Amino acid sequence: MRLELLQGTLDMLVLRALTQGPMHGYAIARWLEERTDEALRIEEGSLYPALHRMQKRGWVVSQWGVSENNRRARYYTLTPAGRKQLRAEAATWGRFTAAVMKVLEAEPA
Amino acid sequence: MGWIPDRYRELRSRLRPERLGDDIAEEIEHHLSLLTEDYIRRGMAPDAARRAALERFGDVERYRAAAQAIDESHLRERRRMEHLDAIRRELRHALRGLGRNRSFAVATVLTLALGIGAVTAIFTVLYSVVLSPLPYAEADRLVYIDSPVPGSSLVSRGGAWGLSQAGYFHFRDNSRAFEHIGVYAGAFSSDVRFNLTDDRGARRVPGMAVSAGLFDALGARAVVGRLFTAEEDRPGGPDVVVLGHDLWQREYGGDPAVVGSTIELNLEPRQVVGVAAPGFHLPDRRVDVWVPLQLNPAARPANHHYLAAVGRLRPGVTAADAEQDLARLTAQFTELFPTAYSEAFMRETGFSTQVRPLRDVVIGDVTQTLWILLAAVGLVLVIACVNVGNLFLLRAEARRRELAVRRALGAEGGHLAWQHLTESLMLVLLAGALALGLAHAGVRLVLALAPAVLPRLDEIHLGASAVAFTAAVCLVLGIVFGLVPLTHGRDFGALHEGGRGLTGGRLPVRRTLVAGQVALALVLLAAAGVMLRSFQNLREVDPGLEAARALTVQVAIPSQRYRDFDATNAFYRELLQRVEALPGVVAAGATTDLPLDGETGCSSVWVENGPPGPGEEPPCVRTTLAAPGYFAALGIETRGRAFTWSDNERRADGVLVTRALAERFWPGQDPIGKGLRPQGGEPPYWRVIGVTGDIRDEGLDRPPIEAVFFPLVPAPDRPLWSPPRALTLVIRAATDRPGSSRRPFARSCGSWTRPCHWAGSARWSR
Repeated sequence: MRLELLQGTLDMLVLRALTQGPMHGYAIARWLEERTDEALRIEEGSLYPALHRMQKRGWVVSQWGVSENNRRARYYTLTPAGRKQLRAEAATWGRFTAAVMKVLEAEPA
Repeated sequence: MGWIPDRYRELRSRLRPERLGDDIAEEIEHHLSLLTEDYIRRGMAPDAARRAALERFGDVERYRAAAQAIDESHLRERRRMEHLDAIRRELRHALRGLGRNRSFAVATVLTLALGIGAVTAIFTVLYSVVLSPLPYAEADRLVYIDSPVPGSSLVSRGGAWGLSQAGYFHFRDNSRAFEHIGVYAGAFSSDVRFNLTDDRGARRVPGMAVSAGLFDALGARAVVGRLFTAEEDRPGGPDVVVLGHDLWQREYGGDPAVVGSTIELNLEPRQVVGVAAPGFHLPDRRVDVWVPLQLNPAARPANHHYLAAVGRLRPGVTAADAEQDLARLTAQFTELFPTAYSEAFMRETGFSTQVRPLRDVVIGDVTQTLWILLAAVGLVLVIACVNVGNLFLLRAEARRRELAVRRALGAEGGHLAWQHLTESLMLVLLAGALALGLAHAGVRLVLALAPAVLPRLDEIHLGASAVAFTAAVCLVLGIVFGLVPLTHGRDFGALHEGGRGLTGGRLPVRRTLVAGQVALALVLLAAAGVMLRSFQNLREVDPGLEAARALTVQVAIPSQRYRDFDATNAFYRELLQRVEALPGVVAAGATTDLPLDGETGCSSVWVENGPPGPGEEPPCVRTTLAAPGYFAALGIETRGRAFTWSDNERRADGVLVTRALAERFWPGQDPIGKGLRPQGGEPPYWRVIGVTGDIRDEGLDRPPIEAVFFPLVPAPDRPLWSPPRALTLVIRAATDRPGSSRRPFARSCGSWTRPCHWAGSARWSR
């Protein structure tokens, strides 16, 4: 299943992924896939504008390193500001879903 | 710079534009290759795996471009922040440096502020008066038309006459050079006032009778209502008036309903048809009320040149062209108006017509004075700069060791220079801000002290031009001073010097500066000394009258109620006798023209057995009417006797003359008993009954005036002009604070007759 994701939601998911530790783009995509049991599959290229945007906003920082297969890769790390942003967005998301559920669970007339 | 975390440092070095694109490509390629490997592990062929990876990834180019755009904007933002930080840092350093040396900073700022402030103030005056264009639409097409008469002894302002009615109409109807020509009745009089009366009282306001064409020529517009039409400008036309903007705001609170209402000017009702635009006045005077001139084109041509004329040239026509065109028309005068412009008249007076740019006429010869003044304060500024430059050099020397140490530690010359520049710019800009405040005060001082003859006085104010000027001066000075310490340069020898003391006066530069400063200061002192001397000489000149304890009041009475000489005489007699009875009043008199008041008109007189001879022009002298008590009130000494009310009663034929006039007409003889008269040279003559001392009316640096004083009523068969309805009272007070007489007088005057306007204490322009 491939769901369309809003930009803000993607950011939130990426930030959450990075709480696991520094990752490169491919690793983030795999982690998301694994967590959602493949229910969520994003177009993986869209990670990169998102990551760079978050870097510009200071939520993540990047550093070149060596990946598992001995290749040069850019690793992204969560900053304290990023953690704060994640908490805020998660809270908003929670309220949003709760509101939507309330509507959906309303007693039919 | 160890405080920058390693990550940031790496980011910065990575964020070079050329590498941005490459890095992203590499990143993406890494992702793609991992994906491809995944597919290969699942059994796909390499090509198919790659294709599948690309599909899974999405539009590579789109994402790469998006990421790159984000990175580039990120880079720009960081660069901007860095610059701001650098500037903030420099400012902080400069402030700290100056804070350590507070006396230096204070001395520099104050000195420069004074110099720059003075120059800015005078520049403002110069700009407003001389450099800025006149406040009319397309003012460079405006010209002033008048008639130079080099051969005549009857000269008014500027040595030229205005236009006559016949001349004006002839020019207006036949000239090809002008879009519009307008005239006003102001060639001779500099201060025309009207009595404005309403239920709040009476006051005198400056006003002028103008032709409708004058508004067109000057490009005037009305903000409320309208201006005159050509129909209203005909003889017998309606009594209308246009209000000036200031008057409208001041007296009527800017209420548009005043248009259409009626106001009383000189006791005649006039309907207000409009209000002029703000700041609109005649080029040579303020005007609060405008009335139509209503000239009669069919009037008999007369040799009366009382009209001041302003013309708007057609586009592309120069003043010289216009002058030629009018010369052509002037040549037709003798033929068209033989009685007024006879051939003999034209020949003797050398009558011609000239056209000059309005700006030149308004500004007059004030330009030179102002530039000289600017040069003088410029000199002050130079002295201030030399002073400050010296201070900078001293400071640079004091910091030689510090500079040498920093150089040794690797500070680049450019960075150090930038720091010096920041310091000096800060100081200079601070001085500049202070200078603007000083200049503002300076301009107000100039306005308070300036003689009323300074043209365009209203237009002087500190504006954008002054701020720009100050900014430019500050910038130049800041750079100059910033570079001063660099002359000190690369002096590592300072490091070897023991101790922390200063060595003074090693530089020949400083000696030159000091010498220059002393020299300039001497020049200024000398100039100031000369000017003080001249001023002192002026003050020692005896004007011939005592202004200190005299008060003046302008009184004007309506012609309807006071139709002839007897009526006016009776009014003034009553008024003056009442005033003299007031406590604290020593003497009271009245006259038509106050001395040193700026009026310089003259009238012809014929002397018994004296000039003019046949075929000569009669001499033109000041003629004034004086009420009894006038000479005593002004402290003018007289030999012989002065006027009395009984003289007026019996219509005596006595006049007084000034000593200078007596010397001119009857040199070496006793003038008492001699005869003269205005308006014609046959008997009976007026007789001289008294001689005054020298009176300096035209300025303390000019020779004493030749004047005749006539009584308020004419002797039989000896005509005077018209009954004097506008006189200036002169009241001599016993105390040194004449203002205390003000209120009792106002009560007595105001209760008795309405048009009575208190003018305040005598203030003589010297």
